[in-house]
Amino acid sequence: MLAGKGYQVYNISGGIKKWDSPAAYGLPEQGLELFSGHESPQETLTVAFALEEGLREFYLSMRKQVQNNDVKQLFSRLAAIEIKHQERLLNEYNALSGEAWTHETFAAKQAAPAMEGGLTTAEYLRIFDPDLESTADIVSLAMSIEAQAFDLYQRAAEIGSNPHSRSVLKRIAEEERTHMAQLGKLMAQLSDDG
Amino acid sequence: MRWKQFLTPVKSLDAAEARDFMQTRSAESFTILDVRQPEEYQAGHLPGAKLIPLPELSERLGEINPQKPTLVY
Repeated sequence: MLAGKGYQVYNISGGIKKWDSPAAYGLPEQGLELFSGHESPQETLTVAFALEEGLREFYLSMRKQVQNNDVKQLFSRLAAIEIKHQERLLNEYNALSGEAWTHETFAAKQAAPAMEGGLTTAEYLRIFDPDLESTADIVSLAMSIEAQAFDLYQRAAEIGSNPHSRSVLKRIAEEERTHMAQLGKLMAQLSDDG
Repeated sequence: MRWKQFLTPVKSLDAAEARDFMQTRSAESFTILDVRQPEEYQAGHLPGAKLIPLPELSERLGEINPQKPTLVY
């Protein structure tokens, strides 16, 4: 139908069944309660910061639960990566607002933690069911969370009424794809080390 | 000209080719379209895919940018 109407169409053969990269889950409105669609760019960045904070806290809480020292170190590393993501968001927030929030003050005053991707911690663990003592499973879980986050930001951009906020969301979505690629490299590195 | 929709060739990409296609472009430069039912989309979809179930497609074509390549499954 699309091709006949002049669209440039590619059929993904095998669809989701053959898709061996991280998938996203939930209905189109999954997680959108975090976004009204009317956020300013600063408010958008605040929500994204909170999502990264939620993920960082998740990694830190998982670190306490596992026994394997390699996995403990991996969770610390993943939590540290989230701080870098937050710094990028905070720099943009400060540039837009002309304010000078630090990570600590912004985390404490601006943002209540949420979970990246719009799923709760329990939902992530139920869907992905990782072996919490396996580094490969943990990196795979992290990649899946980034995929879910990319999906959420894409959907949030679609409902956004503020063009500047939409472009902020699209940029953050693109960054989530980069995070996925970085985690893919980490996975390869862990395989080489193992 | 309804026959045209049945005769226009559509390129196929396997999962690896689709992934390469996506990784070498910005997410904004193409559309991923999921034409399955909502419950199938809910159970797992390609990240960033837009859900328009096939029975609704003809009415919702305006939601897809014809200027961008569309990857369908």
